[in-house]
Amino acid sequence: MFFFILTNNNSNKMFFLFILFFSTLISISSNSWFGCWIGLEINLLSFIPLISNSKNLLSVETSLKYFLTQSLASINFLFMILIKFSLLKNFNMNNIISIMMNSSLLMKMGSAPFHFWFPNIVEGLSWMNNFMLMTWQKISPMILLSYYFNKNFLIFMIIMNLIIGSLGGLNQTSLRKLLAFSSINNLGWMIFSIMISENLWLFYFLIYSMMIFMMISLFFLMNMYFMNQLFINNMNFFIKLNLLINFLSLGGLPPFMGFMPKWIIINFLLINKFYFLTFIFMMTSLIIIYYYIRIIYSSFMFNYFKMKWVNLLMKNNMSLINLSSFISISSMILSTFIFM
Amino acid sequence: MMKFLFMMIFMIPLCFMKNMFWLVQMMLFFMMFLFMNLNLNIMCFFNMSYMFYCDIISFGLILLSIWICSLMIMAGESLFKLNFYFNFFLFNVIFLLIMLYLTFSVLNLLLFYFFFEASLIPTLLLIIGWGYQPERIQAGMYLLFYTLFGSLPLLMGIIYIFNDLNTMTIYFLKFFNMNMYLLYISMIFAFLVKMPMYFVHLWLPKAHVEAPVSGSMILAGIMLKLGGYGLLRVMIFLQEVNLKLNYIWIIISLVGGLFISMKCFCQVDMKSLIAYSSVAHMSMVIGGIMVMNYWGFIGSYILMISHGLCSSGMFCLANINYERLHSRSLYINSGMMNFMPSMSLWWFLLLSSNMAAPPSLNLLGEISLINSLVSWSNISMILLMMISFFSAGYSLYLYSYIQHGKYFQGLYSFYVWFISWVFIIIFALISFKYDNFKGWFYFYLILNKK
Repeated sequence: MFFFILTNNNSNKMFFLFILFFSTLISISSNSWFGCWIGLEINLLSFIPLISNSKNLLSVETSLKYFLTQSLASINFLFMILIKFSLLKNFNMNNIISIMMNSSLLMKMGSAPFHFWFPNIVEGLSWMNNFMLMTWQKISPMILLSYYFNKNFLIFMIIMNLIIGSLGGLNQTSLRKLLAFSSINNLGWMIFSIMISENLWLFYFLIYSMMIFMMISLFFLMNMYFMNQLFINNMNFFIKLNLLINFLSLGGLPPFMGFMPKWIIINFLLINKFYFLTFIFMMTSLIIIYYYIRIIYSSFMFNYFKMKWVNLLMKNNMSLINLSSFISISSMILSTFIFM
Repeated sequence: MMKFLFMMIFMIPLCFMKNMFWLVQMMLFFMMFLFMNLNLNIMCFFNMSYMFYCDIISFGLILLSIWICSLMIMAGESLFKLNFYFNFFLFNVIFLLIMLYLTFSVLNLLLFYFFFEASLIPTLLLIIGWGYQPERIQAGMYLLFYTLFGSLPLLMGIIYIFNDLNTMTIYFLKFFNMNMYLLYISMIFAFLVKMPMYFVHLWLPKAHVEAPVSGSMILAGIMLKLGGYGLLRVMIFLQEVNLKLNYIWIIISLVGGLFISMKCFCQVDMKSLIAYSSVAHMSMVIGGIMVMNYWGFIGSYILMISHGLCSSGMFCLANINYERLHSRSLYINSGMMNFMPSMSLWWFLLLSSNMAAPPSLNLLGEISLINSLVSWSNISMILLMMISFFSAGYSLYLYSYIQHGKYFQGLYSFYVWFISWVFIIIFALISFKYDNFKGWFYFYLILNKK
């Protein structure tokens, strides 16, 4: 059922979905860098049919842009792997080849400063394709990044990610672009976490993808793509509450679930004595919270001018959404039962 | 201690049932009287368990928060009459009370931070959800961002302390000395923004004015005291740096208090005047905590409690006027003594407490604070003199503008009956002086409820 939604109710695409999942597994679990590159290429090849929809000219253009940027990054990656094999005998990670390899992987993920394709492309994709792009497509470049990274370069990239993710979203009204910039910002947190440990990254990534899934499924069910649609719709009270909780949770405010991964990452930041970096993490987080709250103005205010003729037909899978918002509120407390 | 937490948690399903509005409020009163009967020991932490504790400051502030939350529900009865999401309002109040209760009673500094931040969310919901002016969006933004800007470095500081000391228990912090300048600034900045100190006080007039009466009451009553409580807890291991740098905060807050007191005279909006007077009182509290002597500690604690009661009462009175005249402006709310003479009793009692007239508790707090600040430096006499004088000035200004004079000719007709629960605040102020919290029980017996 879940896979059916992901392929936009087109079961022909389920084959490509399977290959997509498989390609990530190839990429992560290979013994050699060639295997990683093969996994990345298959990932690209199988994602293109998922997003292309020949009835819509915009999605054709989107899939072309995606293909061009990702294949450029893959070619770069392959070339740097070959140079590393032929020229470098040692495993020193502080050289220019590691910078180049990391750059190509960052471009695959859509991280700054190679992020310019990312908001463009999310504008042309449907919500479920966006969900795959923002969550699953980040897994294999992240893990490959952890195998051979240049610490100073990545710290600089983290700072750029945070700043661009927070400041880029300030002038947007399209919900997809806002989530794209928030995804870029969260990439900064994730790159830092994968420098510490893969387990930590997995923890952050799982909670992040769960929160993104809740929000994207909410927008998907309401068929909302722009911020003005939030005010036109006559949402009932529980949907508004759900939206409120999810966005505040994504911003990292206590007492919601999204606070926990940020807290743990700050803990590791301070153990490793990255004081100024922590300050940048905090302050960009504030800017992100600002534009999340702009999105949820319509849920905060209980008496704004509503249009009553727009009736929101919610399908009968509200129980999933209610359960997810319940988890969002109470998971901090429930997690104490797991960890103690 | 956990029993109160469970009582509050189990009140949440009660908020969503039909016709339970007054029952929730009665249960909060009941919980307050139960809480008062805990064994109170001035000199140490008591009622300690794995996660919770209580000492004299926590006890008083938890009592104050339960009291004000129950009064908030009483003040919000118009929401119940007009059927404006009162279930969710009750849930908000109970949730806020749980967060405040946990803030004041957990042993772990990180959990204190967690609940400190978590109490912001229901406050924000109260301001933006039930406020009635379009400026409330900006007010909510200011509240959220000023507080978060201060408290995110606090989170960094707390985790740094954990990595250094391997403990977060508040009780153990007195055995350590973390005397670093950057840690000091990051730890106390959050509480100074929350108090608020003069330069970072801009959120307070906006948030207090735009909030509905319940939101204003809880903001003035307790949320400001979170800052004071945090300062009192965090100073323990930052004493040496504080002795070097406290003059900055004392001077900023005292001079700022003077400017704010003068600005009170320029206000047209009643709630705005009460909000600015809150800043002026809190400036003295900051001064008292920062000088780090015993009189300052006691004076700031007493002033926090009495100011909480007094300001909440004044906001509630301002709302009573607003409900009748639909305006908060001083030009329209004048000559009220002609219509509601019994109200002028409450206005007078609360405003005389606000200016620290005897026999109110504010007087005790201000005298202790004046003692402590003057013992720190003689020159602060001038500033304190001016602040006390101006606080008397604007309190009388507010009283005489509202009550005396000719009434506004544009008034048509309004309901003169009022709810007589505000008097409990006054009796609370007087009964505190006798150091016997149980005196409140007897006043409850003569409570006149509709």
